Amino acid sequence: MFTILERSELNPTVTKLVVQAPLIAKKAQPGQFIILRACADSERIPLTIADQDPVAGTVTIIFQVVGAGTMQLNTLTVGDQLHDFVGPLGRPTELEGLKKVAVVGGGVGCAIAYPVAKKLHELGCEVHTIAGFRNKDLVILEDEFRAVSDRFILMTDDGSRGEKGVVTKPLEELIAAGEGYDEVIAIGPLVMMKFVSLTTKKYGVKTMVSMNPIMIDGTGMCGGCRLTVGGETKFACVDGPDFDGHLVDFDEALQRGGMYRDFEAHAREESCNLLKQEVR
Amino acid sequence: MERNMDPKRCPMPSQAADVRNKNFDEVALGYTPEMAVNEAKRCLHCKNKPCVSGCPVGIDIPAFIERIAAEDFEGAYGVLSASSALPAVCGRVCPQENQCEGKCVRGIKGESVGIGRLERFAADWHRTHCTTAPEKPAPNGHKVAIVGSGPSGLTAAGELAKKGYAVTVFEALHLAGGVLVYGIPEFRLPKDIVQQEIDGLKALGVSIETNMVIGKVLTIDELMEEEGFEAVYVASGAGLPRFMNIPGESLNGVYSANEYLTRVNLMKAYRPDSHTPIQHSHRVAVVGGGNVAMDAARCAKRLGAEEVYIVYRRSMEELPARREEVEHAEEEGIVFKLLTNPVEVLGDENKRVRGIACVEMELGEPDASGRRRPVEKPNSRFELPLDTVIMAIGTSPNPLIRSTTPGLDTDRHGCIVADETGATSRPGVFAGGDAVTGAATVILAMGAGKEAAKAIDEYIQNR
Repeated sequence: MFTILERSELNPTVTKLVVQAPLIAKKAQPGQFIILRACADSERIPLTIADQDPVAGTVTIIFQVVGAGTMQLNTLTVGDQLHDFVGPLGRPTELEGLKKVAVVGGGVGCAIAYPVAKKLHELGCEVHTIAGFRNKDLVILEDEFRAVSDRFILMTDDGSRGEKGVVTKPLEELIAAGEGYDEVIAIGPLVMMKFVSLTTKKYGVKTMVSMNPIMIDGTGMCGGCRLTVGGETKFACVDGPDFDGHLVDFDEALQRGGMYRDFEAHAREESCNLLKQEVR
Repeated sequence: MERNMDPKRCPMPSQAADVRNKNFDEVALGYTPEMAVNEAKRCLHCKNKPCVSGCPVGIDIPAFIERIAAEDFEGAYGVLSASSALPAVCGRVCPQENQCEGKCVRGIKGESVGIGRLERFAADWHRTHCTTAPEKPAPNGHKVAIVGSGPSGLTAAGELAKKGYAVTVFEALHLAGGVLVYGIPEFRLPKDIVQQEIDGLKALGVSIETNMVIGKVLTIDELMEEEGFEAVYVASGAGLPRFMNIPGESLNGVYSANEYLTRVNLMKAYRPDSHTPIQHSHRVAVVGGGNVAMDAARCAKRLGAEEVYIVYRRSMEELPARREEVEHAEEEGIVFKLLTNPVEVLGDENKRVRGIACVEMELGEPDASGRRRPVEKPNSRFELPLDTVIMAIGTSPNPLIRSTTPGLDTDRHGCIVADETGATSRPGVFAGGDAVTGAATVILAMGAGKEAAKAIDEYIQNR
């Protein structure tokens, strides 16, 4: 069960795994997530599904090494088994009926923006993709995006590849130039999604964001993933993870996301030297 | 047989309060055989067995106590296990004072017989002395699916397996046991006991599939139409935590009890080598008065908090927690702020909890629940400095099954509607436990599981 069939490094900190999980592969849709535990004593890590193949019975996940849990995950190799792999969780992204969409991805969030763009393309929707990264070394899935996008704009913070600047710049230019999007779908760091939402709000363009709060069970039990959306408490695991970006309280989400920052940094340093040797 | 007419029951040996409030080992240590025999002799063997009428699973209580008095401990276990799938669990977590012990005649002029303690004794005796595996019943060729491996699901699984059904239990988490593993702490219910009960069910032939979220990876309809299950018992538990909807509940340092307990119990955050973080608090308030609130407060104390408060808007009399847990909590230094209601969680400049603002309450006229309604005293607002607030004020039902099962009726709260046998609006779909009642107790969930197993058996045999 949950055997890793393929492993590749998309950039020095982002790894892609193709995992055998036939039941989940049959059901998974863009926007949904899984929770995994790498080993018997590991933390539960929620990761959005990057791709699925119902015929081969596989689910693809793409993750960035950020803390002790993802470091441990990154030590696993082809043939290894994940101890736990549960899903598909959350509600799928609603894509039916959209005619023209701007998909905005940031960093490793592009791993999740890609299946959304791909599905929209398959549904016959006009897709404009804006993908942002810190620098050229961190760019992922460029060819894949180009293949499913009617328009593709690559941005880097330092201009080492594509255009220099943040994703909101071309997004605002496109909207201002009269590209009438039915919807903007933004997936990436909270700060990016916040500013995309602020940008589109000015123009009244509906915007969906994919939230990734701290989560434990992911099945509607613990309540750790709560967010304030339109003044109401919502749970990302069962009500989301997609929400209307114009209603999400991003500042609160940013603050709650930092709850365990000290612990995470400590855990990273504690395990760093050990795992570094094992990380291929 | 001579009777023990001592009006007081044999005290339970337990870890000293100022020792146990620093560790997660079990608080109550259990009777010795001598204590158990002595306590068993307090039973008067009333003809009309009032205690049995107080037991949701109908254990023949005088019969098992009589076996203990005769020093036939394995025989006592045999009586228990004929009615209860989880005696070692029930002996520890049932609110006996409202059930069997509450009906005990000895309680009129003294203390009731320690039925729960005797149940625990017999179950523990069996666990540590019995090595023979239970006999696997002959298969009857029928398949039943159970959603959720908490007390209700496990009970139904055990009952059905004993009748020869091929039972598969689907559990959403990575570990079976439901609230017994994620909710109730180690010091109240050691997890190896839960594991042993689950292993016992597996030995009966029950198959347990973890990491299976029914409603997501498979629906109820798929279980019945594609996977060949003739009936499904939905025992998926209580669901998402409620909050008070007061300002400040999103500050860092505000937990739901579900989250706090899941981190501590399921993810073992109390162990230094755990990968799951938890805030190491100094001053904690737990809002609520149920067993979950007591568990959270006592966990916080054990994790090193100097001051832990239970904040409850009614008085001690209305406090719904099991009496023994309240006593244990008090002994361990938990401070009860009764007739107190939080109105705001206060934050510092970094959006971390710095306290709660509360008002004092007084009890007015009885409300719909029959309990006197707490009303706010004017001008009684005060602040309690804290770094952590844990909300333990109940849950609302999980939406995953009702939203993916067409034709399954739910009430206005979202609880699945089921009759006393567990039958729902969908033929072949039964439900029970917290998924039907909202948050209640382990034993009520077990009672529902037992009833549903009976109804499922009848349903399948009469098809």
